[in-house]
Amino acid sequence: MPYTILYIDRDKSHSKAIGAYLERQHFKVLTASTYDEALLIFDNLDPEIVIADPGWPETETAYLLKQVKQSHPEIQIIVTYEEKDFDRVFEELGTEMAGYLVKPVKSRLLDHALEQTKARITTNRKLEGCQNELNEYQRTQYLYHQLFNEAPCYISVQDRDLRLTATNRLFKKDFGDEIGSYCYKVYKHRDSHCQKCPVVATFEDGQPHPTEEIVTSKSGKQYNVMTWTAPIRNESGEITQVMEMSTNITQIRQLQDHLTSLGLMLGSMSHGVKGMLTALDGGIYQLETGVEKKNIKRIEKALDQVKLMSGRIRKMVLEILYYAKSRALRYKSMDISEMAQKVADMTRVIADKNGVELKVDIEPTLGMVDVDPNWMQAALMNFMENAVDACIYDRNRSDHTVNFEVFESAPDKICFIIRDNGMGMDQETKDKMFTLFFTSKGSQGTGLGLFIANRVITQHGGTIKVETQPHEGSRFQICLPRYRPEQARMIDFPENNSTSAGR
Amino acid sequence: MSKKILIIDDDPNVVDYLEALFEDNGYTTFSAGDAKEGLEIAKREIPDLITLDIEMPGDWGPRFYRKMVQQKTLKNTPVIVISGLSGSEHAIGRAVASITKPFDRDELLKIVKDNIT
Repeated sequence: MPYTILYIDRDKSHSKAIGAYLERQHFKVLTASTYDEALLIFDNLDPEIVIADPGWPETETAYLLKQVKQSHPEIQIIVTYEEKDFDRVFEELGTEMAGYLVKPVKSRLLDHALEQTKARITTNRKLEGCQNELNEYQRTQYLYHQLFNEAPCYISVQDRDLRLTATNRLFKKDFGDEIGSYCYKVYKHRDSHCQKCPVVATFEDGQPHPTEEIVTSKSGKQYNVMTWTAPIRNESGEITQVMEMSTNITQIRQLQDHLTSLGLMLGSMSHGVKGMLTALDGGIYQLETGVEKKNIKRIEKALDQVKLMSGRIRKMVLEILYYAKSRALRYKSMDISEMAQKVADMTRVIADKNGVELKVDIEPTLGMVDVDPNWMQAALMNFMENAVDACIYDRNRSDHTVNFEVFESAPDKICFIIRDNGMGMDQETKDKMFTLFFTSKGSQGTGLGLFIANRVITQHGGTIKVETQPHEGSRFQICLPRYRPEQARMIDFPENNSTSAGR
Repeated sequence: MSKKILIIDDDPNVVDYLEALFEDNGYTTFSAGDAKEGLEIAKREIPDLITLDIEMPGDWGPRFYRKMVQQKTLKNTPVIVISGLSGSEHAIGRAVASITKPFDRDELLKIVKDNIT
């Protein structure tokens, strides 16, 4: 494509002669003799080179040239001038012009100026191409930088020494800006690399490797992460670095744990419920046959059994409801001697029915204590019923006793001692007794009672001490502060599996 | 002379129920709250049938059964598993029946009648 030249000169015959010359030099030539003509051509025909005589002393064309250079810096302008005007021309148009030619213009000088201008246009076009490529490269780099930084997972790039060479925004937020540190130091807070490192595996075989890990953030929080690795190769195909992407799946794992725990609860519940329903069936059967046979003794026994089973089912349902929903303790100031007496009275009914002697020693004026009366009473009843059960299940002796003592062991510290001479516990049972869903009562236990009782006492700021020997009995010492602890916490069961000692 | 049934179950309320049910139907009953006591009574009384719970403190049902069949006098005694445990029908392969708590009392009595000799 020939270059297009706009020739501006008021002298039309001069324009015509130069135009003819330039056409012979294979240029496409446009001519203008006025400001308006030149403007029209600039707006519509995009000339690449302008040769102009500003025509001093009038400066309209000079103004136009400056405007053109400002709005179209790529257009190359060659200025022709009368020798006497050089200082003024140069002062007016400066160094932005591509060249200056004195009139009358010599053809060899014009050719030379045009050759230089063409070379400059070619160079400028190349530069423009490079600039466009550079801009595209910067745009792409910015896009990938954003993708890397804003990906909703932890991304790190590691070298063969497992040092971090790049990390994304989320990684920096949770694990710190630790470029240069070892991956295992940052992720696991350890001093040597992990036994099964997916990054090492990818360096070895060039394949992606998935693992599930537990990592610790800079604030000490533990996260479950699903990790994938990918090799980064140089131009020769050698693996120089490995990228590791870790998705935080902590919430999913917590949900799974909770579902597992609910599944365990359902299993435990279903077994316990089946046992209770069978015993309830037994009570109903004996009631029916007692009425048929007019056997008052059997009717009374059956009624007791039905009452006992409905009580157990009620207790179990309440425990399940308590477990299923986290709730805050509702503290009230209670007369602790009265509450203890009530617990003793309720226990006496069960103890008497099963031939177990209950000995009670409650200091009558222990005063007021801050407790959640519903749950504290339920927790104490749980220990008392367990003591009676331990006697019922013990077939090694017939004279069974449960002792219940309540006293102030230290200023503002109330102690409950529940002692039985029943079957006692072996070490394993003692270790697991407060664990969720652990029961030593076979079909009659749900594994919820002592778990909840322990939590209730702990939430009240209390302590439980257990002494026990198989076939000799157990002694529970429960101590409570008289006043509500400063931070009476919410009860949140699913994440807290207590393993305190006990039966 | 009435047939003898040994009830082995850790829940005294269930034991009460089974005793009443079997005695009302003309059987003599013995009961044990765990496997150890159950084996002692079985050796002593040589029952005509045993009802056996699976999950109990101490030895569980299948272990009781293994010890029981080692006794010449007991190896052919029919055993009915009565348990609330899911999958208990697989616990003792040679049991004559396995029923789940809470059970149908007529069904239990029929199984007892069919298997007691």
